[in-house]
Amino acid sequence: MAEFVLMPKMGLTMTEGLLTNWRKQEGDTVNKGDVLFDVETDKLTNEVEAKSSGVLRKILVSEETVKILVPVAVIGTADEDISELLKQAGGKAEEAVPEIKEEPKAEAVPAATKEGDRIKISPRAKKTAKDLNVDYSLVTGTGPAGAITEDDIKQFAEKPKTKISPTASVVAEQLNVDTDEIHKDTRIMKEDVVKYKLDENLAKYADPQEYRKPMSTMRKVIAKRMLESVQTSPSVSFNIKVDTTAMKQLRDDLKDNIKVSYTDILVKIVSMVLLNYPLLNSTVDGNEIITRNYVNMGVAVAVPAGLLVPVVKFSNAKGLKDISKEIKDLGERARTNRLTQDELTGGTFTVSNLGMFGIESFTPIINQPEVAILGVNAIIQEPVAVNGELVIKPMMNLSLTADHRVVDGAVAAEFMSKLKEYMEKPGLLLL
Amino acid sequence: MKIAIIGGGPGGYVAAIRGAQLNAEVTLIEKEHIGGTCLNKGCIPTKVLLHAAGEFENVNKSLKDYGIMVTGAELDWDKLQKRKTIIVRKLVAGVDNLLKNNKITKIMGEGSFIDKNTIMVKADDGTQTIVDFDYAVIATGSKPVIIPIPGVNLPGVITSDEALSLDKIPSSMVIIGGGVIGAEFAAVYGTLGCKVTIIEMLPNIVANMDQDIVAPLKDRFKKKGIEIYTNTKVVSISESEEGLRVNTVSDDGEKSFAAEKVLLSIGRKPVTDNLALENIRVETNRGAVVVNKNMQTNIPNIYAIGDAIAGIMLAHVASAEGIVAVESIMNKKPSIDFKTIPYCVYTKPELAGVGLTEEQAIQKGYGVKTGVFPMQINGKAMIEAEQEGLVKYVTDGATGEVLGLHIAGPGATELIAEGALAVRLEATIDEITSTIHAHPTVAESLHEAAHAVHNNAIHIPK
Repeated sequence: MAEFVLMPKMGLTMTEGLLTNWRKQEGDTVNKGDVLFDVETDKLTNEVEAKSSGVLRKILVSEETVKILVPVAVIGTADEDISELLKQAGGKAEEAVPEIKEEPKAEAVPAATKEGDRIKISPRAKKTAKDLNVDYSLVTGTGPAGAITEDDIKQFAEKPKTKISPTASVVAEQLNVDTDEIHKDTRIMKEDVVKYKLDENLAKYADPQEYRKPMSTMRKVIAKRMLESVQTSPSVSFNIKVDTTAMKQLRDDLKDNIKVSYTDILVKIVSMVLLNYPLLNSTVDGNEIITRNYVNMGVAVAVPAGLLVPVVKFSNAKGLKDISKEIKDLGERARTNRLTQDELTGGTFTVSNLGMFGIESFTPIINQPEVAILGVNAIIQEPVAVNGELVIKPMMNLSLTADHRVVDGAVAAEFMSKLKEYMEKPGLLLL
Repeated sequence: MKIAIIGGGPGGYVAAIRGAQLNAEVTLIEKEHIGGTCLNKGCIPTKVLLHAAGEFENVNKSLKDYGIMVTGAELDWDKLQKRKTIIVRKLVAGVDNLLKNNKITKIMGEGSFIDKNTIMVKADDGTQTIVDFDYAVIATGSKPVIIPIPGVNLPGVITSDEALSLDKIPSSMVIIGGGVIGAEFAAVYGTLGCKVTIIEMLPNIVANMDQDIVAPLKDRFKKKGIEIYTNTKVVSISESEEGLRVNTVSDDGEKSFAAEKVLLSIGRKPVTDNLALENIRVETNRGAVVVNKNMQTNIPNIYAIGDAIAGIMLAHVASAEGIVAVESIMNKKPSIDFKTIPYCVYTKPELAGVGLTEEQAIQKGYGVKTGVFPMQINGKAMIEAEQEGLVKYVTDGATGEVLGLHIAGPGATELIAEGALAVRLEATIDEITSTIHAHPTVAESLHEAAHAVHNNAIHIPK
């Protein structure tokens, strides 16, 4: 007797699968257990074996995504008439869709047809049930108002009954588990039913939800820019630890005059050092490298649900006081969305400080069309060896990301080394 | 695929034959006798003696009720020993033939591992054979435990090995350990005129079985004059005029028992010392080889089964494990359900149990419902003049699932198969009651016990 090969259901939540890689052709002999094709879902890829032996008479689905339990092929003897099956397949391909949508209702329908004194069933279906020896109280109705139709009876009679142990049957009834949902090749045992119920309960308890929200414009821009940057610049990361004792001293010395942050001081020092390492302050344009005698320092600011990078223009030429005031102002207006377009463009280098969150190291993404970005991390009191003695120092890790199209390792390393020198001995800047 | 199996007992030879069925190239290495403990020093010889004791008892007791008048019946112990030997030899030869028939290479000698693909076998005459393998199965079985108490090495202190071939029936015997083996030897010797005393450390004899079926056995033992002392610990064995003296202590104080022979039947322990397991770094736990549920050790191509892994030490379990091991090796998914292990005691009445005892089921949290049928009212049992015993079905009250079957009575060890199958198929008690059992049989008492779960037994008065 010819049978359909169906798209298998390979998991509780699977509704469809991509059928690929047929191993057999129409006309090939198939033995039970032979691999027929692969099925891919977003969770897994499995080989599907033939459940019966015979000749692969027709392939209905060769390489596409179909819903579960849809017929994908016919296996039968070499010469029997399969035209009936093919006709059914034509219809079944569409029927399989409503089957999925009705699954959540399926539990309700048999209950409705059983609880009432009268099971809704057409007289014709009743006769068919009698002829085919089917207990129609077990059949799910798909007719109007859940009535059982003749086709329902016929399909039920054809359905291979899943083998199930007597105890498992009792437990399934007690736990209200539909054993048709348990897909097992061998006999369903009590533990299969219990496990199914536990999985079902867990899913109910976990009540998994997914939420969809469209991206904000800022988020779309950030996403686009970050992806482009990573696809444009072959980046290398460099880390160096700096003793911030001198910088702290500097802040203390200035505090009566002006309160400067570590970021302010860094912007000033980095701007000055960059002038001696123009490649880190450059831009790639085709086959040309544009270097500058000025620095426009971008200072990354976290804003609600996003990130903005306002630019301190010509930071190399501004004093620390001005830089500090400007950064405060830019930051405030960034957070309240009052920056001008001009203030957000033209950067040649970016500084991004995550130290206030305790971050020790990170790999910031270059802000195109710049070629480098300096990540600033937390100041941590760390034990350091000084002249063979253990001393506790306030160390700050600097994380540089640089574009290796322009910035070679040694160049970046030298830059970092110089930066460290100036940060630890700011007096050198007076020279 | 080359499989080497060390040990030719019910675990090893069954594994060998299964391997041959699956087209592996099998070599079986055996150091003493094919058939192992089971055929040579265990299952078979004990059942021969038990059968003889049972027949002797019939001759002297129940045959006359049937008008068969026999006087002066005697037991010729030597002849019985010879008969035992003949049966054992025939069965061993039978297994040997099966090995030849399945083209399994048999090497007699003691095997030990050189590395994880080589075994060296030393024969008795000194010849050495090297066996290469892809996979090996350790099936070296077990030996009786000797408790390290003073006097255990005195002559007359024996284990089951010697108890099977004593040159005469002793006048008295103290059996230390009232488990299955101790109970069976008590039944043999206690029926043949020996004064038997059982000393058991636990609160019950045959403690691993449902105590409701052990009760009829205890009654029978009492009638035979076999004394049982439970919750009693043996402290030492000393010499006396009768031969030996077993000194014990219990809550009732110290007691000492005189006997000609003292049988140690406190358990068995795995035999793995001479396998050179250190060479292949196979993990053991107190002598027992450690395996996963496929009988595989920590070394992927080395498997172990049977008494050597100190799981359930029964021949049929060893055979089942042998099949699981070999099927795993040959990449066939083994499908043996170890919940169906039957436990049998070949005394009179016979005892047999499968699944959970009533107590175990309660402990596991089931709302237990049991159905009990007394053997006294079974017609066939009456005809066979074996009316002591009972049948008990243990079920889960919530679902009707058959959790266990426990039988004391004639043919219990045969009838237990119904319970094992019920457990295997996860049957509910309804499947038992809806199956017709033949009449007149002892088996229909199982049917009635099943009905009794719902208080529907036809032949039990209300």
